[in-house]
Amino acid sequence: MKRLLGSFGALSALVGLLVLGGSVPARGEDGVTDKEVILGAGLDLTGAVANWGVNIKAGMEAVFNRVNDAGGVHGRKIRLIAYDHVYQPPKAVTNAKRLVERDKVFAMMGHLGTPTTKAIKDYLEEKQVPDIFPATLASLWTTSGKWHVGDLATYVDQTWLIIDYLVKDKKIRKIASFYQDDEYGLDGHLGGKARLKHHDLTYVAEVDYKRADIDFSSQAAKLKESGAQAVILQAVYREPPRLAEQCHAIGYNPLFIGPSPIVLDKTIELGGKHVEGVIGVEVYPLPTEPGPFLDLYRADMKKYFPNLALDTTNLYGYQKAALFVEALQRNGRTLTRDSLLKSIESIKDWDPGWGLKYTYGGDNRRGMSRSARLVVVKDGKWTKLSDWMELQEGGRK
Amino acid sequence: MAEILTSQVVSGLATGCVYALIALGFVLIFKATDVVNFAQGEFVMVSGFISYTLLVWYGLPYWVVLFATIVLSGFMGVGLERLVVRPIMDAPIFSIVIATIGASTVLRSSAGIIYGYDVLPLPTIFSKDPIRLGILSFTAMDAGVIGSSLAIMLALYLFFKLTKTGMAMRATAQSQTAARLMGVSITRIFSLTWAISAAVGGVAGVLIAPIIYLDPNLGLIGVKAFAGAILGGFGSIPGAIVGGMLLGVLENLSGYFFNAGIKQVSTYILLILVLVVRPSGLFGAASVRKV
Repeated sequence: MKRLLGSFGALSALVGLLVLGGSVPARGEDGVTDKEVILGAGLDLTGAVANWGVNIKAGMEAVFNRVNDAGGVHGRKIRLIAYDHVYQPPKAVTNAKRLVERDKVFAMMGHLGTPTTKAIKDYLEEKQVPDIFPATLASLWTTSGKWHVGDLATYVDQTWLIIDYLVKDKKIRKIASFYQDDEYGLDGHLGGKARLKHHDLTYVAEVDYKRADIDFSSQAAKLKESGAQAVILQAVYREPPRLAEQCHAIGYNPLFIGPSPIVLDKTIELGGKHVEGVIGVEVYPLPTEPGPFLDLYRADMKKYFPNLALDTTNLYGYQKAALFVEALQRNGRTLTRDSLLKSIESIKDWDPGWGLKYTYGGDNRRGMSRSARLVVVKDGKWTKLSDWMELQEGGRK
Repeated sequence: MAEILTSQVVSGLATGCVYALIALGFVLIFKATDVVNFAQGEFVMVSGFISYTLLVWYGLPYWVVLFATIVLSGFMGVGLERLVVRPIMDAPIFSIVIATIGASTVLRSSAGIIYGYDVLPLPTIFSKDPIRLGILSFTAMDAGVIGSSLAIMLALYLFFKLTKTGMAMRATAQSQTAARLMGVSITRIFSLTWAISAAVGGVAGVLIAPIIYLDPNLGLIGVKAFAGAILGGFGSIPGAIVGGMLLGVLENLSGYFFNAGIKQVSTYILLILVLVVRPSGLFGAASVRKV
């Protein structure tokens, strides 16, 4: 027994030493070599939001390919390793571990989806791996700790804009919420609830659906019964057309309006005339607008992905990658995860050339100056409805 | 209220009819060959893509596409039977079932490689505009789906009842040995069964894909149809039809009275309840075994 205790003591001392030794940062940073920076991405390439995933990946690669063809940044080329998480949180976790522990990526880049990115948040924080510009605008990222850096106005900010627009401009007081029953849908849903309270209102109906659901007839019936004049779509691109169809089928024609994830051409392709008049919030310009940054985007997409149509989805990835390259350039040759965060924070009032400015620094890890505007589906195209506005910071309480 | 409820029932019936068609495919193959074909859902998906290719890529007229899709789906069924099932016909049933699961994965991935994983809208001749008849409110799409499904079921019924081949198939389902002794070619009947099942799945694909959009994961709808087939009593043709329809309606109503979470599990709750009370399903013959 004594011997057993003794060896146990020795063992725990050894473990203690190892733990102590491990906590001293012996920094040859993972994923950075003389010639390369390796980035990881978890995207949905084959699942319910594959359109976003495939296009975000292409948009990011268009920038990286151009930069690499010109010799890279400070002599280092950028390599992106992307895995498919099928929009499923458990798979996202497996992929993140594979990227961090086996592929040894320097940072996670453009990780797609709110529920999926939330699933890997704590892991990345623990491993001190930067989560750069995840492709989710949940308000969660404003309070997620040091290693998470968002890029655009959040779903809560956007929903506050929607509510104010409906109540003040459209004089609509019967507003319903149709939301995805997970961290994504709930973010805007709860933010909207908080903003309605400010106007002394509540949702007249709160109707949820599950990720990858395909039938919304019961949701349509509930919305109709509530008599809502406007329905806020905390959804992606597959649900709004189907919901609109099923509402129209029972003779119910409310105003549909939703945050940025619904603003893509796929929504129109699927919905046709049923999505005519749907309003969306946009947090960056349309792919067809003028400006040097968008000219470059169009040229890069044509060169590297000639078979992909220009769409808000690949522009979303493209602007993330362009912002990342700007940070790398500011960083200089000595690159660590800490120095990357500092370089991002040095970005202030920076305009890549499309009239919207990014600002980081202090506690503000979201960057873009909360710019947004409204767009509407008109004659089968997303069309400008309002000018750019500075959103106030929304909250869920 | 009444109007909303009836429209819920009608649109549930439309989805339920599609479940019923897929469930029929399961049951036909099971009755004839004792195999549960887990690629049945993929028949639906592949036929959706066949009609998409003919309609959108080649611009053929709708009726030609419908006919061609059914025929091509039939060939797909025969192909699967010849390539995957027949070579291992003497293996335990369990191995064959696993082989069909493998086939379903291959079909799904192939569709993904060829068409990508994005959702595609499949054109249809049925309008999605509302039609009102008294307190009934539905779309031409719903009516079209229900009508076409019933027509297919009727055609199948007549085929089994009136034709010689149909009788041979029923005979094979009852006793393969006796059928063979009567001069029925069992291998031909097997091929034909797979062809019919896949063709029925093909109809389901053409009907459902315009409603829920087309993508390589469309075949997952087969899981619900399978539940429908069990609900009705696996092995019973009327059971598959009633079970599928019941499922569609129940799904809609539970979504209406409760929330999306309940809607998702309601079918399985019902399934368990029915199986507890009637282990052989609604229409299934209780299996009595003499010991």
